[in-house]
Amino acid sequence: MIAPIIDLLLFFAITTPILGWLCEKIKRPYLCGIYTTIGLAIALWQVLLMKFPIKISQFSIDQLSGFMAITFLMLGIFASIFSMKYLERDTGIPLFYTLLILMIIGMIGAVFASDFFTFFVFWEMMCISSYTLVAFRKEKWEPIEASFKYLIMSSAGSASILFGMSLIYGMCGTLSFTEISRILTEPNIWVYIASIFVFIGLGVKSAIFPLHTWLPDAHSAAPSPISAMLSGVVVETGVYAICRIGFSIFSCIKWLEVIAILSIFTMFIGNLTPLLQTDIKRLLAYSTIAHIGYMLAGISTGTILGLTGALMHIFNHAIMKGLAFLCSGVILYQLETRDMREMLGVGRRMPITTTTLFISLFALSGMPPLNGFISELTIILASIEVNMIWLGICIIINSIISAAYYLRILKAFLQPITLENIKKVKEGPIIMLIPLVSLAILIIVFGIWPDGLMNYAKSAAYELLRGVM
Amino acid sequence: MNIYIMFSLVLYAIGIYCLVTKRNMIRLLLGIEILINAANFNFIAFSRNISGFIDLLPLSVVTISIGIAASVTAVAIVILVYAYRHYGTLDVRELRRLRG
Repeated sequence: MIAPIIDLLLFFAITTPILGWLCEKIKRPYLCGIYTTIGLAIALWQVLLMKFPIKISQFSIDQLSGFMAITFLMLGIFASIFSMKYLERDTGIPLFYTLLILMIIGMIGAVFASDFFTFFVFWEMMCISSYTLVAFRKEKWEPIEASFKYLIMSSAGSASILFGMSLIYGMCGTLSFTEISRILTEPNIWVYIASIFVFIGLGVKSAIFPLHTWLPDAHSAAPSPISAMLSGVVVETGVYAICRIGFSIFSCIKWLEVIAILSIFTMFIGNLTPLLQTDIKRLLAYSTIAHIGYMLAGISTGTILGLTGALMHIFNHAIMKGLAFLCSGVILYQLETRDMREMLGVGRRMPITTTTLFISLFALSGMPPLNGFISELTIILASIEVNMIWLGICIIINSIISAAYYLRILKAFLQPITLENIKKVKEGPIIMLIPLVSLAILIIVFGIWPDGLMNYAKSAAYELLRGVM
Repeated sequence: MNIYIMFSLVLYAIGIYCLVTKRNMIRLLLGIEILINAANFNFIAFSRNISGFIDLLPLSVVTISIGIAASVTAVAIVILVYAYRHYGTLDVRELRRLRG
């Protein structure tokens, strides 16, 4: 017995290969996808029924952990529904679903953990399964190269977290978050050294400016549902870890200013590099870096309003970027290209996919009735509240720059059809359109009625900052 | 105690040096192993912080981190075998097709 949800998901992860073996015997591998979706849905139901806070063995589950777990499971359900059709031309499908569940278990364990050791074990579980999932299509050269790059950078980062952990253990004699925050009240040179090691490790995973180089390769080479998961939630787990570890352990040192400076560099790099990009998935991957910059800007204000904005943006970005990657997956499935120059006029042949893609792109650029606007506005208001108005101005400038490359996608999709192969393209299969349409509806719903989400994020932010204030 | 921290920092620096300068993929993996071992060494050194008493928590951390390092290496070697099949070499300078 570890923790109720993790136990349930581990059960599904272990039984999926057995079921998969039977499904491959009767030539119906999509049954695995249905099984996985049911498992994730039961887990989501259990999280929604939870009464916070809970303490079980090495886990302490508060409102913030619950908030993150809901995001992970929700996007996981959509990704596994989408994969049923998307992966029908591949082999090794049961293993794909097993790794998908293991990645979700890793993320949930990392957000539930109450001590550094448990956090590290689940963090590595998430990392190892994501390396394997990026290299899932092993017969092509691109995923292998991207996965190797990702593996080397990310495991060097994990080793750096372990080293920082050992220094913290040397100072405190314990690894529990609450105990450490009680002991580490006076900053000294070793606290600074440990914080550098830990933040470098977390920064690699969350793609902060000088450590972001692996992200565009890994996220564009992975299969589309996995790109949605990686961009939507795995990177955000790094942001969560920065919040949790920064505010609970390193509250005695001034790390918020450094994060503020890095967030500006992160946004500008993420928004200026894709301006000339023609590969649609690579463009979306770069825009993930920019959005990480917005979240870090929200965190660096250090107030409840800023953290509310950052947490809302984590949730909204999971929906928006998940939808954008799934749409590019449908186009990749039908057209078998990622180059935008070969997609001219595809919007006229695939109306539903294109409409949902446009909704997600408008939300990503921060257009008013959609959900991205609300969270970006909250972050900008928070930066004005703490007299960091330059941060707010940077976010506004970046939103404008980002609209430029989103509109390029729009232009390419709405042009008259000239290419011969576009004329034969049909709309994607219905099973792929279900997650697309439901995510688009969620974007509109959370854009028009953000109150519930905002209150939840506010109480989660309050939970996080209670130890500091 | 200081000499142990010195040693593990030097070991960490060797690991980073290995990752930055070496071009063979297997050597990069060895660099990561060195980084993880530096951290493990630190844990073991700190486990007898209080004299006459050995804390068991770092020993369990080290045991599990050795296991995790082994699984990372296993995954890395699988990817490396496929990379060798695609490129016919283990030189990372050849893995430069992803750009931009």
